[in-house]
Amino acid sequence: MELTPDQRAILEGARGPYLAQCMRWLVEWGEVMGARRLVRCDNTHVLLCVPNLVARGASARTLETFAEGLKEACRHPVAPHCVATVHTLFVTLDPLDVPENDPGQVQVQREIAEMAARAGYLTTFTCAPYLVGNVPLKGEICAWTESSAVVYANSILGARTVRHGNESAIAASLLGVVPEFGVLLDENRRGTLLVEVRAELRHATDWGALGYFTGKIAGLGIPVFDGVRRPSQDEAKQLCAALATSGGVSMFHIAGVTPEAPTLEAAFGGKVPRERVIFTERDLRETYAALRNATGDEIEAVILGCPHASLREISRVARWLEGKRVADGVRLWINAARVTRSAADEMGFTALIEAAGGRILCDTCPTNMRIACRRLVTDGFKQAHYARGMTGAEVIVADTEACLRAAVTGRWMGDE
Amino acid sequence: MSETIRLRARGVVRGRAEGAALVADATLSFWGEVDPVSGKVIGKGHPLEGQSLAGRVLVIRSTRGSSATPMVLNLAKLENVAPAAFINVEVDSLAALGGIVNGIPMVTDLECSPFEVIRTGDYVVVDATEGVVEIRRTEAQASGGG
Repeated sequence: MELTPDQRAILEGARGPYLAQCMRWLVEWGEVMGARRLVRCDNTHVLLCVPNLVARGASARTLETFAEGLKEACRHPVAPHCVATVHTLFVTLDPLDVPENDPGQVQVQREIAEMAARAGYLTTFTCAPYLVGNVPLKGEICAWTESSAVVYANSILGARTVRHGNESAIAASLLGVVPEFGVLLDENRRGTLLVEVRAELRHATDWGALGYFTGKIAGLGIPVFDGVRRPSQDEAKQLCAALATSGGVSMFHIAGVTPEAPTLEAAFGGKVPRERVIFTERDLRETYAALRNATGDEIEAVILGCPHASLREISRVARWLEGKRVADGVRLWINAARVTRSAADEMGFTALIEAAGGRILCDTCPTNMRIACRRLVTDGFKQAHYARGMTGAEVIVADTEACLRAAVTGRWMGDE
Repeated sequence: MSETIRLRARGVVRGRAEGAALVADATLSFWGEVDPVSGKVIGKGHPLEGQSLAGRVLVIRSTRGSSATPMVLNLAKLENVAPAAFINVEVDSLAALGGIVNGIPMVTDLECSPFEVIRTGDYVVVDATEGVVEIRRTEAQASGGG
């Protein structure tokens, strides 16, 4: 890879050993991925989280060494031209009466959060940075972790980011550059798979079903959807998250809707699609059915806000819950970024949700925290997929209103 | 008696490592399908479910990348249960990053299908810097012991 004299000097230690290591990560990664140069990056979304129950049973030494790695990263300032937001945690910084929120890990996470803020990171602790002010412009080069946010940035905003890991995103934040490969380049942003949608998408969760269905087929490719209307932001969020859950998709196009697909032809760069699939009403029904594995109708939890809820979603839940009561023995979680909850506090939505017995969970989500649950209902395909795989819960994925009906009755009553 | 097979490969993450092979013609996600503390595959129904990756040369089609892949590899390394090396058919960018950061060599483009020549239990030396994979098999393994 060709480096400028300045970049080479950093690699050789001119700005100290940590930045030399960061530069080595970016250069070696770029070489592996076929990059020819480093390009300027003004926007990152990084992971700075202690593992909590992800590393259940790990030695104290492992946890200390891991945390020290994060602290070392936070001892170096974010590049002046770079906006750097921070991804979801595996703990919540709020007091929360569940055994899964290990107080020792929370304390270390707090120390890291304070150091990160001083280093110039915006400690948003969210999987949906685009809901809390990190909204890159079309063509802006970014370095984002969180695969669902990567899909949103590339597809809905027309910004450019490959899927990053914590070290590469931290290195990009400090050095303000990234290796140029993958969807950073025009030629890798063209569609590979045509998806003709012949099902009616009634609500955000149906868009999640379309994404979950397509991700399995698309693998690492770029699907192009044809025959769908313009999604709302919340619907787009579900589509992005589900595509990145069942597949390795980094971006998609919607013909006539997303910024780089004014027409179907433009989405494929004038080429003929390599593959074509049709998404029918039957596919829609079967996608739900295949993920649902509940063996009974009594539920323990309802989880909304995967990816983290928007203000609009919170307002809708709050108004629906007004005057109702979550059933005994059921936990209703609405996951959101801390700043979104602050706004919901101001607008009175938090009070309505709490009065009904629900709770807005900040910084994280129940699955990231590995909160044990026997049977849950959620409106997010991503949450259902990972809750089933990681916590062994029985899951039902359904539209938000059906989820709320389950929350107040304590039972899964069906979709309608 | 033993036999040794030497094959060319393309080095992805430089370095040299060796260990017993763990082979599956499948993909694997380090996020959710691998426990970083036990080093075991925990994905329900995965062909390697219950197997330990510790010190093994992991021969799979590819990893399925997640932002957390390097983090899981880092924790596994600290717990001494990380795989020794990767032999993959396709290169997942996040596993490559995890390999770079944690010093786990990776090769791809083996001159023939790794699933045809490497069996679980074979002793494999991966030299990703030179682009060579050496497979050592004792007679007991060759006759079906692996």
